[in-house]
Amino acid sequence: MQCSKCGNPKVIYKRQQSGQLLCKDCFIESIEKKAIKTIRKEKLLDKGDKVLVALSGGKDSVTTLEILNTFREMNVIDICAVTVDEGIANYRQDGVDIAIRHAERLGIEHRVVSLKEEYGITLDEIMQRENHKGSCTYCGVFRRTIINKAAREMGATKIATGHNLDDEVQAIMMNYLEGNTDNLTKLGAKTESKAEKFTVKIKPLREIPEREIGLYVVAKELEVHFDSCPYAMQSFRGEVSEVINQLAEKHPTIKYSTLRGYDKIKEGLKKEFKKEYSHGRCSRCGEPSANDLCKACSFLEELGL
Amino acid sequence: MSFLLKFKSLEEKREIPSDNYTIKDLLDELELSAQTIVSKQNGELVIEDTVIEDDDEIQLVQIIYGG
Repeated sequence: MQCSKCGNPKVIYKRQQSGQLLCKDCFIESIEKKAIKTIRKEKLLDKGDKVLVALSGGKDSVTTLEILNTFREMNVIDICAVTVDEGIANYRQDGVDIAIRHAERLGIEHRVVSLKEEYGITLDEIMQRENHKGSCTYCGVFRRTIINKAAREMGATKIATGHNLDDEVQAIMMNYLEGNTDNLTKLGAKTESKAEKFTVKIKPLREIPEREIGLYVVAKELEVHFDSCPYAMQSFRGEVSEVINQLAEKHPTIKYSTLRGYDKIKEGLKKEFKKEYSHGRCSRCGEPSANDLCKACSFLEELGL
Repeated sequence: MSFLLKFKSLEEKREIPSDNYTIKDLLDELELSAQTIVSKQNGELVIEDTVIEDDDEIQLVQIIYGG
């Protein structure tokens, strides 16, 4: 057994979809090349961009930072990062500390913003309330709002997130199964909006399977926070993911073909189903919102904050 | 014939139950999915088809968590 590319007998990975065998160096190179190919193909970066990386300290965001940093080293872009501390005891602090160490290592501007400072409440405290809407609902909305705000305050022209192939395929299937044609028009490598305060979002890892990102950080000996969120529960996403992973065992190319199929019909979907939202502002916080109150502020009002 | 298994906080000596006992066999025994784990043999990354040898140190790193 030897590396399909260089002949090194120390193989660390076998690609199920192609049977390709890779040694450590060729595997690392293949991941970086794949992300760079996505960045070029989808025109995710422009020279002079300041990219804000949403940096949790997990494998996906650390890999995003590592790969985008190669463009920074070539003086193509500048990078900054934000880490959101949701206030989850015995979980989040490790990720925050790791994010701080990566930002220091690379010498990039970095902010840690906590839900407590921003909204006066932690996710743990929200979960103590009766009739809450579920942890992921608040976490997703508050995190997105904090990241958008940080991007504007730090002068970022793009926001990079660590969404991988598995995340994208789950989102495509979930929205399709739920008949959510509106959300189906919004997926993709680059999300833009006509709204004045909206920063373009990019996903450089969207064509890389989650498992390969995990192996990449271990192979590169990057410090990451491998742990399970204590609020992770049996969600619809989890169920969809299980089905896709079961199918992928016998059909190893299925995640790629789902993504390719979606990319082919996306423009048609947008033409047919894209809703034109009004580009107003939230009357409470001034963030972009199609309604009088943005989602984050409507949750805060419900929570009496 | 035995090997040292390291997984999260667990560190235990285990017998090699048969010839050509692979990391994949170990993962099946521990009911762990190869999709969520990367494996190291004596500190070096290896694929799951690797045969575990006497006195090996096998470290399993969970890289994917639910949720």
